[in-house]
Amino acid sequence: MITQEKIEYYIEKIPPLPKTLRATLQLLNEGELTKAAKVAKLDAALSSYLKELVNKPIYGFKNEVEDVSQIFGILGVSKSQQVVYSYMISLLSPDSWSFFQLNRNSFYALQAELSVGWQKILSHLSIEDKEIVSAITLLPASIIVSEALFCEKKEDVTLLRSVSEIDLNTILFRLCEKDLFDICESIAKKWDMNETIIALVQASSGIKPSTDKQTDSLGKWMHLLLFYTLSKPLYIEAGLNDFIEFNISYVEDIYEEFASVMEVS
Amino acid sequence: MRAVIKDGVGVFHPQGFLDGNSSLSMLSIEDIEATVKSNADMILVSLKKVIFFNRNGLDAFVKMFQKVRAQKHIVVGFCDYNAKKYEAINQFYKNDASFSLFITQEVATLFAPSFKNQQKNVLLYSEDKSQRTAIAIELHDNGHNPIIAQSYKEFEQKLKNEAAYDVVIKDTFLGQMGQKVATRVTGNAIIYTVSSFLDADIGNTFNINYHNNSLNVGFRLFIFDAYKVVSMNIHALNFFSKLASSSAEYNATICFVGMSFDKTPISFKETLEDSGIMFFEQMDDILQDKELLEELGASSAASIKNKRTLNKVMVTELPNFIDATVSTIEMMTNAKAKKESAKVDAINIDNKNGKIASSIGFYGDMDGMVILVFPQEIAKQACALLIGEETEDRELILDTLAELVNIVGGKVKTLLGDHHVSVDITLPRTYDNIDSLMEIAQGKKGVQVDLTFNNDKFLFFLTR
Repeated sequence: MITQEKIEYYIEKIPPLPKTLRATLQLLNEGELTKAAKVAKLDAALSSYLKELVNKPIYGFKNEVEDVSQIFGILGVSKSQQVVYSYMISLLSPDSWSFFQLNRNSFYALQAELSVGWQKILSHLSIEDKEIVSAITLLPASIIVSEALFCEKKEDVTLLRSVSEIDLNTILFRLCEKDLFDICESIAKKWDMNETIIALVQASSGIKPSTDKQTDSLGKWMHLLLFYTLSKPLYIEAGLNDFIEFNISYVEDIYEEFASVMEVS
Repeated sequence: MRAVIKDGVGVFHPQGFLDGNSSLSMLSIEDIEATVKSNADMILVSLKKVIFFNRNGLDAFVKMFQKVRAQKHIVVGFCDYNAKKYEAINQFYKNDASFSLFITQEVATLFAPSFKNQQKNVLLYSEDKSQRTAIAIELHDNGHNPIIAQSYKEFEQKLKNEAAYDVVIKDTFLGQMGQKVATRVTGNAIIYTVSSFLDADIGNTFNINYHNNSLNVGFRLFIFDAYKVVSMNIHALNFFSKLASSSAEYNATICFVGMSFDKTPISFKETLEDSGIMFFEQMDDILQDKELLEELGASSAASIKNKRTLNKVMVTELPNFIDATVSTIEMMTNAKAKKESAKVDAINIDNKNGKIASSIGFYGDMDGMVILVFPQEIAKQACALLIGEETEDRELILDTLAELVNIVGGKVKTLLGDHHVSVDITLPRTYDNIDSLMEIAQGKKGVQVDLTFNNDKFLFFLTR
């Protein structure tokens, strides 16, 4: 169904990071918000993505934010880096989705919900590290990878799942000994994303706990946030609810705290 | 959402957080109906991967359960929860639940009429005395050996010797149980379970299409498990007499096991015997008696009423059948298939060693049977995908094979549906060796396609 070669081909055809993006990230990293905004403005698609994302209701801005400098100014360095990373991941998303019932809008909405949820969690945990803030952006890449690899195999997957309770990640691993998160890692490396981001997203798969205590704990929060978000009707109807397995026992010890932060009732 | 169906139990596996909105998006009445149509006689929602639910979240499922139960007479409920979730559900419904609660899927299976693996030693405890009794009666009726703990203290004491029990039941609640005519296959016999009062409704609850197709695919022994039947009226008598006459045309036998005539006129028994139905007191009187089984046709199915031949519709659809089979096995094994030859003739298997086989029937706008002969290696590879590791366990390999053939059947159904040909599929049959397959397939004409998967020879045979 899916072979190692197919995965390698997929990773190979991922284009290198555009120069403008690389420069924007570099400047953000140096704390140069104004210069970063100037460079970002050169990329029309990036500017338009930033405007669309931060003006989603979940970001909660009263007035429409139009200008990139204004966006970076309001968000600050960490969150600006986070939205630029979100844009990078969105570059991988297909023009039209067929395995999952998603479109450009609903995918951006998912990115926004995860990002805002992650902010809430990090502020509760008093964490400001900008790499950790950005780590959430890599998580939706697993959805894009699933779409790309399984889009022609929808029927097969449905039939397979009618006889065995098996998620896409497990199918992929059993066929190729590589899972969705390993592929995300390859993408992140290709784009020189920070190691912290990679380690955190691997832990958030729920099946690969990290040996680093903080990474592991944050991985649990991210795993739970993913399923909290994927339990919303829009994403259930998109077919995302069970694309990977929810590992309850991994997150049980932080659930009460999570429920209070996210106001689950 | 699609259910996983095993041993007649269809289970949905939602994940995450369940509230009124998310539950309705996860499961629809159509999803449940499709599962019932696939011969599930129990529909459950697993709470194993649900971390949060509220009353509204469960209510959305319960409303669907009630609707389906009223129409289809099947068992509905939840399974796979911990003590905390069980307590929460009980608080929401305060013992007023019409649905059932099974602590695990394994426990639920014990109550499923299609479950073939009976005679389990089951330790059970429920706080509610009437539940204790109800659970014990159902277990006993399903061929298990229930051991009841009358108090929690006794339960804990008995549990010290956990090895003595195959299954331990606690935190389980039986709502209304099903009354559908459940079907299971034991060896080459089909067992139908009937219960309570048999009246004109049997015409609705018995799947006559399924029965006719089982005759077509070679089943010759049909046993009605009637231990739980209280009485039978004249309408049911007519139904069974007709069923016996039509089955006799195929040289098939119908038996009743455990039927008591305390509340049914004994003259009914004579009428049924006249129409060819046989009566036995115990299931083992038939299943353990190999000579009798042979006599009744359960080990040999060679005498087909009419030797049926392929027709034009089937030949036209042949590429679809082959595509469905090849793509399923390619998907499950990641091996590429190569077509070697195709011919119309009786089935011919060169090297019988190290091979196992499976068949699945289909009926509806067209009817027939697909037979697949596998080298063990391919079956093992398919196992690796479904269970995560290769295994030498024969039973597990045969089980996986049945599931694989089920997928092929499902795929054929979809492909034919795309061509506006509507069919239903039967339960798959597996054959541990080629000789047992030949008992049913010998002399049947059909299309044989020889394929190779990574140098392993694989045979596809389509017949009627």
